Amino acid sequence: MSERSRLAGRLAPLALLLVLAATSLLPTDAGLEFPDADASAANRLSNTLDALPDDPLVLLGFDPDLGTYAEVRPTVRTLFADLLERGARLAFISLTPEGRALAVSEIERLQVSDVDGGRLVDLGYLPGAEAGLVSIADVLSGADGDSALGPSALEGESPALAVVVGGNDIGPRSWVEQVEPRVPDLRIAAIVPSVLLPEVQPYVEGGQLSALIATPRDGATYRAAAAVGDFASVAEMDGPPVVSVLLGMLAAIVLLGAGVWSRLIDLARGGRAGEPA
Amino acid sequence: MSGLAGSDQIATWVAALMTLVVLGGLLGERRVFGWSQHLLAGLATGLAAVLAIRELIIPRVAEPLVADPLGRGDLWIGLGLVVTTAAVPWIPRAAAAVPISVLVGSLAAFALGGAVVGTLLPQLAASVARPEDGAVATLITVGSATVTILVLVGFLHGGKRGRLVDGAAAAGRWAMLVGLGGWLGYLILSRLILLLDRLTFLIGDWLGIRT
Repeated sequence: MSERSRLAGRLAPLALLLVLAATSLLPTDAGLEFPDADASAANRLSNTLDALPDDPLVLLGFDPDLGTYAEVRPTVRTLFADLLERGARLAFISLTPEGRALAVSEIERLQVSDVDGGRLVDLGYLPGAEAGLVSIADVLSGADGDSALGPSALEGESPALAVVVGGNDIGPRSWVEQVEPRVPDLRIAAIVPSVLLPEVQPYVEGGQLSALIATPRDGATYRAAAAVGDFASVAEMDGPPVVSVLLGMLAAIVLLGAGVWSRLIDLARGGRAGEPA
Repeated sequence: MSGLAGSDQIATWVAALMTLVVLGGLLGERRVFGWSQHLLAGLATGLAAVLAIRELIIPRVAEPLVADPLGRGDLWIGLGLVVTTAAVPWIPRAAAAVPISVLVGSLAAFALGGAVVGTLLPQLAASVARPEDGAVATLITVGSATVTILVLVGFLHGGKRGRLVDGAAAAGRWAMLVGLGGWLGYLILSRLILLLDRLTFLIGDWLGIRT
């Protein structure tokens, strides 16, 4: 490799960062709009929320991870605002330390945004992974109201909906596997980063999840349609700048293509070198 | 604005500097990047310890035992297993194996049972080809059933197989590769949005250029 190409390879990430930084100065929807796309996933979530009773208790299984929370954060916060506007009380529970840290941060943000403290229920951190989920299911189904692990702060009240914010080891799949069979009446919706879409989408098709928001496009479509009313300060309507996402994905495709091309060249050279003279 | 950074200016500066350090790793600056990884590991360990003490040991074990020492046999058993685990270096191997066996056995029981009841059986039922309302929907069920069978055949190893099974296994492996390719695309998208979020944070929250 020549000195010039080595220098170019070194500077390429910096150039990409500068281009992405420059494009992120543009308005979120400059030239391109996510919400113009297929709205079926967003509609499914809206329909699930429309079916809630008056003043519902919504259980939030809050276990995103730090590495991907940035992707779902605008949608999650808009969902908070949407639920609060519908008169819901939000009960947070986390089964991973990372999820608990993010839950504490979000609860504090809601309190700073003047959300009535009576509408926020902090069920804390529940250890035990799958065993913890089973104890939640036992409390919700009334099978074991005195569990050592179960969330006692629910005080026998049943949530009308569980929304799982995923990204960590304990996510929608675990909820579907452990809670849904034990509490079949509890509907479960999920918000996950797009990397988990292939894992979670089958549960929507199989009817085990009521709704799923798993891509930036679905998130943007939901946010555009959500009525947040008095809770606009809680919502986060802007997602990542669409032009930046497009440029970044094009750069990734070019990199992958360059890798494949260079591999093909190497194979061709190797084949030629191996030919008899 | 990220809820982690909050409105506190010091927190914003610390978060901005840490972001620059991590991005510096991308550009070849490894030493400070390594320190930031140690800092993250330390913070994660500290958080886990605080959570264990404040949200588990005190409220769910110590307080119930103090309040009703005779009525919580389950907690005494749990506490005994914890003490046994902590004493592993000094006790016979047979005794040390008890808490580990309970831990592994119970986790496996929950995870396997849930996987069978919650995933395997419902997803097998969902992947069966069946008539739907429209022709396209019916074809999709046929397609998903075909892909499921091909991928399962792709896992057949050993023994003598005919050309038909070999072809089906090869097709199944290609179907898996296509699935992995799609998953890689989603992974790139996820990481790209995280990078954009950090850039937006630097430009907006820290430098105040974009509001």
